[in-house]
Amino acid sequence: MRLTDASVVIRPRTSWEAIDLGVLLAQRHRALLMTSWAIVTLPVFALITLLLWDYLSVVVLVFWWLKPAYERLPLLILSQALFGSAPSLRQALKSFPSALKPQLIASLTWRRLSLSRSFYQPVQQLEGLDGLPRAQRIAVLGQKDSRAARLLTALGSTLELTFWIGLMVLFYAMIPPQIEADWSWRSLLDIEGEWNWLEHLTNGFYALVLIVWGPVYVSCGFALYLNRRTALEAWDIELGFRKLRQRVMGSAVALLLGGCLALTLLPSSALAESALNPSMTDPSMADEIPSESGNSCPLPPLDNPQTDENVASPDSPRLRNQLLTSQASQDAIHSVLEQPPFKNPKPVSGWRIAQPKQDASHDARSAETLTWLARLIVGLLNVGKTLSTLFGALLWTLVGLTVAWVIWRYRVWFATFVGKSTPKAIAPQDLPQQLFGLQVRAESLPADVADAAERLWQQSPREALSLLYRALLSRLLTDYQLPLRSADTEVQILARIAELKQPSLDDFSHELTRHWQNLAYGHQMPPDQARQTLCADWRKLFAQGPGA
Amino acid sequence: MNDQPTEPGHAANHLPTPEHGAVDHKHIEPATPSGSNPAQQRQRAIHLAQAVRHELQKAVIGQDAVIDDVLTALIGGGHVLLEGVPGLGKTLLVRALARCFGGEFARIQFTPDLMPSDVTGHAVYDMQSEQFKLRKGPLFTHLLLADEINRAPAKTQAALLEAMQERQVTLEGRALPVPQPFMVLATQNPIEQEGTYPLPEAELDRFMLKVRMDYPQADQELEMVRQVTRSTRSDMLDIQPLRTLMQAKDVLALQRIAGDLPVDEQVLDYAVRLARATRTWPGLTLGAGPRASIALIRGARARALLRGGEFVVPDDVKGCALAVLRHRVRLAPELDIEGLSVDHVLNQLLDQVAAPRR
Repeated sequence: MRLTDASVVIRPRTSWEAIDLGVLLAQRHRALLMTSWAIVTLPVFALITLLLWDYLSVVVLVFWWLKPAYERLPLLILSQALFGSAPSLRQALKSFPSALKPQLIASLTWRRLSLSRSFYQPVQQLEGLDGLPRAQRIAVLGQKDSRAARLLTALGSTLELTFWIGLMVLFYAMIPPQIEADWSWRSLLDIEGEWNWLEHLTNGFYALVLIVWGPVYVSCGFALYLNRRTALEAWDIELGFRKLRQRVMGSAVALLLGGCLALTLLPSSALAESALNPSMTDPSMADEIPSESGNSCPLPPLDNPQTDENVASPDSPRLRNQLLTSQASQDAIHSVLEQPPFKNPKPVSGWRIAQPKQDASHDARSAETLTWLARLIVGLLNVGKTLSTLFGALLWTLVGLTVAWVIWRYRVWFATFVGKSTPKAIAPQDLPQQLFGLQVRAESLPADVADAAERLWQQSPREALSLLYRALLSRLLTDYQLPLRSADTEVQILARIAELKQPSLDDFSHELTRHWQNLAYGHQMPPDQARQTLCADWRKLFAQGPGA
Repeated sequence: MNDQPTEPGHAANHLPTPEHGAVDHKHIEPATPSGSNPAQQRQRAIHLAQAVRHELQKAVIGQDAVIDDVLTALIGGGHVLLEGVPGLGKTLLVRALARCFGGEFARIQFTPDLMPSDVTGHAVYDMQSEQFKLRKGPLFTHLLLADEINRAPAKTQAALLEAMQERQVTLEGRALPVPQPFMVLATQNPIEQEGTYPLPEAELDRFMLKVRMDYPQADQELEMVRQVTRSTRSDMLDIQPLRTLMQAKDVLALQRIAGDLPVDEQVLDYAVRLARATRTWPGLTLGAGPRASIALIRGARARALLRGGEFVVPDDVKGCALAVLRHRVRLAPELDIEGLSVDHVLNQLLDQVAAPRR
């Protein structure tokens, strides 16, 4: 690769100029490019069509998918044509298989759907990079112009579609108007329901479209790539220096000869010798041409990742392992910068007058009025701010009051339906002190219930029975933890006692309840012997003290 | 049916009465030959009621609670609305009751084209006497089965109103008393709403009890299937073997004795509190009226008699409260949407209204 041999003017261009250059480049070599493309793609298309005769959509999909493979041929031709003479058709086709081989799978699989395909294609094909070096190279190249490359691909697909549809419309236009009324032209072409050939024809149109567009697309991407490298490696400056050297070469030799004569020193001849040999002044070019095996666009020495590593960056591990690491110093710097002399954030809110620019043209009187007015407005705004805070507080209070009112208003609903689900904790201190209008708390009962009942029986049997019944309920609540409610009737309480499966308690409760009901609802005095039986049974059942 | 009146006490004496020993062993006073002693009369009434219950339980299997409710209404002098899906024996129960009861029994099948005069009767012209004669409708009977009452339009349903509340029927401007006792047993089907006329609130209020019939227990259904398949009529229980246990005057006596049962002030207060609670209870948009309180006490008295008790206890009130109240209240729409039933809310109410205990 010799920049002086370039067939295009090398100068930095905008990306769209570069794409334009690519179109011109393709135009110059159009015969070679299109012929070679057609020679490669048409047999491939025919082969795919034959293999997948009945899967028409798959044919065009596969053909489209293989595009990166065909695109290597135009790039091969263009890269050689740019810095030298264009290869002949035979040479190009002969070197195509070797260009096709490297990284073909990557191009056809995970890199297939990349929108910047044409832009990065030279990196792998001409520079021969793969893996991490390729990624780094692409990162450098893609800092600019990658957007143009993506737009180029999008535009290219649109153009392909346009040309494709255009060809189909052209085909349609070829049908005589007498027959094609109302799109019924298909009946003309209908050969016993065989439609496959028409679909294949449509697919063939796509192959034809690609013959025109494919090389142009590759050429545009290549031009973008060249433009990017021109900017990165300053090819234009290098060319300028070379021209300068050629122009001043004659006078420089004369000057050197004059110097030699004057000084008659040995080293001058060596200097002159080196100056006379221009190829020696470009050691990178001289070294790399043989070393790069077949790559016509070698990497510039400075872009080589290996050379980059020799210059240690502040984040490199070697520097981090020093006594004072750059990380520690960076942290220290940041912490100092965060502290008050450098940073002192203080949130201040409120309305203030914007500081007007000192303008001498305003007369003092109007400025005074303006200031007064502005102060008034700012004062009002600040009052408004205070009021808004006040109203906010008021509104929140209102919300709280409303919620409280709703809860109070519908407390019966809540008590009836919400409170139902919460399990009732039957703790000793939660026991109802008063049940069914009777004092059932253990403290309200005498220590010896049976004795007290017997004594009471003489004066008022009703109170005695009431005492016994109360005591029974109290015992049921405390000793047996029965969940009695005030809505429970006597029979329901008896049913709960029956669940305890204690026959003696059950019998006693039945007897006591019967006497109690007879007295309370039937107004029948209990017989005298009931006193002895009930009190005796009570003593038998609850011999121990309350709460035992 | 009524050619062989059975002496009630005699029939009852053979029947096992579980409460017999437990209830009254101390209060049976020496029997006088006349039998006019109130305690003895009460004993007989209790035996008779229990005998009827036992007889009905033989015919209608697995619906003991419903039988109790129907007898409660009979003794309480009220009317019953029976609700249940088809095939649970609603009509069978009424027919069995008519069989045990020696009075007149009539049945009206309510249809959309039934006219009020078909129920109450009308005047016809007699060619021989050349004057109008009243032909009394099926309403003039002791036991009236109004089958599928919600199939008739409102005016026909309303023809029952006067008879149910005032025990009389006005025909051609003359108020004719219906025979005593008079009891309407109406049935309706809760699932079929197509082509039915829901009973108006005023009509519903006149029913003392609304009784829901539910499916019987598994073992009872087993027994029922065994009996029905053994019977000659293949698809329904036979009521022929049931004995006629009481006459119209016996029912009146039962009602009078039940009405004489003492009710403590606390129990009275409890019944009124229950009825009043429905008016302020959240979840009920419409509460029960004073007729509910009256029905509660009447029902409680009848249940006390059926139970064999000599006085009314709060359990009697609570026992019939659901049947008395469920058709007199209206559920709040939001609870209806949530899928709660009237019975659910009423059970909550019964669980929260304090029972008397003093």
